[in-house]
Amino acid sequence: MENILEFRNITKYFPGVKALDDVSFTAKSGEVLAFLGENGAGKSTLLKILNGDYQPTSGQYLINNEEVHFRNPQEAIAAGVSIIYQERQILMELTVAENIYLGRMPINMLGVINNRKANEMAEAIIADFGLPIKASDRVKDLSVAYQQMVEIMKAYSRENLRVICFDEPSASLSDSEIDSLFSIIRKLRNEGKIIIYVSHRMSEIFSITDKVAVFKDGCYVDTVVTSEVTDGQLIRMMVGRDLGDIYNNLDRDKEIGDVLLEVKDISSTYVENISFKLHKGEVLGFSGLVGAGRTETMRAIIGADKMISGELYLNGDKIVCKSPHDAMRRGIVLVPEDRKTQGILANLDVRDNINIALLEEHSNKLGVLDTKAEDAVAKKGIEDFSIRTPSAKKKILELSGGNQQKCVVARWMATNPKVLILDEPTKGIDVGAKSEFYRMICAFAKQGLGVILVSSELPEVIGLSDRIIVMRGRKIAGEVMREDATEDRLLAMGMVDINADDRSDIA
Amino acid sequence: MKERLKKTISGDKLILLGATLVVFILFTALNKNFLSWTNFVNILVATSLVGLIAIGHTYLIIAGQNDLSPGSLAAFSGVLAALLVSNGVNLILAFIITIIAGALVGVFNAFMVNRIKLQAFIATLVTQSIVRGFAYILRGGKPVAISNKAFIQIGKARFLDIPATVWIMIVAFIIFGFILSNTRFGRSIYAIGGNQDAARLAGLNPKRIVLLSFVMMGVLCAIGGIVFAARMNSGQPAANVNLEFDAITAVVLGGVSFTGGVGSMGGTLIGVFLIQAFNTGLTMVNVPSFWQYVAKGALLLFALTSDYLRKQNRERQLLEASKRNG
Repeated sequence: MENILEFRNITKYFPGVKALDDVSFTAKSGEVLAFLGENGAGKSTLLKILNGDYQPTSGQYLINNEEVHFRNPQEAIAAGVSIIYQERQILMELTVAENIYLGRMPINMLGVINNRKANEMAEAIIADFGLPIKASDRVKDLSVAYQQMVEIMKAYSRENLRVICFDEPSASLSDSEIDSLFSIIRKLRNEGKIIIYVSHRMSEIFSITDKVAVFKDGCYVDTVVTSEVTDGQLIRMMVGRDLGDIYNNLDRDKEIGDVLLEVKDISSTYVENISFKLHKGEVLGFSGLVGAGRTETMRAIIGADKMISGELYLNGDKIVCKSPHDAMRRGIVLVPEDRKTQGILANLDVRDNINIALLEEHSNKLGVLDTKAEDAVAKKGIEDFSIRTPSAKKKILELSGGNQQKCVVARWMATNPKVLILDEPTKGIDVGAKSEFYRMICAFAKQGLGVILVSSELPEVIGLSDRIIVMRGRKIAGEVMREDATEDRLLAMGMVDINADDRSDIA
Repeated sequence: MKERLKKTISGDKLILLGATLVVFILFTALNKNFLSWTNFVNILVATSLVGLIAIGHTYLIIAGQNDLSPGSLAAFSGVLAALLVSNGVNLILAFIITIIAGALVGVFNAFMVNRIKLQAFIATLVTQSIVRGFAYILRGGKPVAISNKAFIQIGKARFLDIPATVWIMIVAFIIFGFILSNTRFGRSIYAIGGNQDAARLAGLNPKRIVLLSFVMMGVLCAIGGIVFAARMNSGQPAANVNLEFDAITAVVLGGVSFTGGVGSMGGTLIGVFLIQAFNTGLTMVNVPSFWQYVAKGALLLFALTSDYLRKQNRERQLLEASKRNG
């Protein structure tokens, strides 16, 4: 039977974030459709709407031209929509057959589970898939690739399966395993299932998919026939913007002064022997893979994580920061990586968020706060950083992500810091707000602050930094001046060379 | 000023006042004596202890903590103060020692939460049992009679026809309400209740704030216990069981969110009055005491459900707002 899945003008809001904006696309039987987009483009939100984990704020979700409203994944599965996730969703201690028929094991008249029948039914599917495993095998004894197959068979065993989505299925598979996955996907496609395939790997997109739906910043861009495009064209559709102009137009007319902060051989539970110097007026970039220890370095400096050894010098004087509070008093402040859970104080309003680091300054001996001074600081912060909010009394969660982040920056700038550390400051922020942040960062450096910019976006770290430190495996791997920095070079420094350094845990 | 007034009498509190009114009308319909000055004052007197505890719970629950030990600690404090005074210790000195003991129990609670990383709920359950034990141990389980006139007078004195114990509670509400909304400590309470990690990264010291809140609660329990003992003319080791139950119900009824970070002292004040009117009313219309437990449980369930609904409503409003702000 011919099946059609369609999203019409689907929009999804979360507090402070528009995750999907008017997304429409169609997927048909006998086609493998890829979802392609950068991190944060909205792919995972789409999948969660597909399988009923989220409900769209507006728009229609249709299967075979009938609107569906899934309240939870169970309803989606019952209607024939299944997702195979990156993380295995199977029970390791159970057998293959028990996993496939979980919750609907065949039973006899007395209600007792009929294992023999379940195994027979499972063996039939295994034979159909052509796999060298047995229905009675325990899943924990299987390889990752076969565990994934069990999940696919579990979805397949439902007679009404119509749509099957794969979320980065190849992430933990070897090349030969990917080949057998693809042959199963082709089999499913030829049987008339709708296949949705989410992956970052271009080579896979070209070898398995028939069409590609491209997403960018929560918006649907276009659907193209895979055989009619090149990977270059796809990348341009994904990125769809050129930030080069923004970087070129930044005001870099400034002087880099004396050493402001010297980090000498510091170690914490998470990083080892980190040393570097930060100058007045300098933007020092920190590049490296996720997990290389950049965030942990910054947390050790401000005393959020315990520093086991090493020394800090600010303007030549030795300092000790046992807590973020200590660091703040000395003028070292951090805009944390995760805005939602570490940056903003979600239950407070804009005014209190901006003032929270100034409670000491604003209170008298009895601890009574000078609310007029607080109002003034909030007003100034909102003006200086053009925070778009209807009033200072608005809950910070009502603001967009970019404006929330500006409140966190305003909070710290109100303390007159000497060193401003920004950890992934533009993550999940729209392009317009990004360029505002870039101008801000340059302005801070021009004022004589030392700015540390931790960023996983290579163009950003290259475009803004005067000097870039690359971290790898909890250590500093090297340092590059802005003039010599290219994306390739930073990437190469940040990746582990397995031959030279046999620490596969980092790779 | 107008905006401030509006904020104080928000929709939630209007609903709460409405509920109090309904309770009054209902119980008056069942027993005419319910609506009288004497009964009104009786309700106020009965709230004087639970009110002090509810003040402490307002701070603790907004800060994301809780405390199950106040009933035990109030009983312990009453026995300790009575015992000290009956052994010839100067009245003021006896009170100071009792208050210090209460503060130390707070330090102990904070220690378990901050250092042993226990959930406040379970940590203070430990204290509940230990402190109750000591309340009995102090005098072998026997009540300690109070003969000191000045001590007894605390429970008897009246000003403007309202007992001193009620005035103590009113003054406490004013002072701690001011601290919560106008001081560095108060603001920090809200900040750590929303998210301790974020508050620490914003330069606050969550452990110290948690410590101060528990110490504050300990002091309030001690004062409450002393006042209660004065009213009873004796320190009773078996008294005040389930005191925290009423206080927590009142606080949640008053709009403090069980998930932390949200609430106000004004709401608690109304909540305390509502729950005491409810309890007094049940007795006056002759609901058997066993059934009163069931009714109290139902009221707490109602409070928690409305907390849940308020939270949903807040999230819905946020979603609407973020749609507007794009």
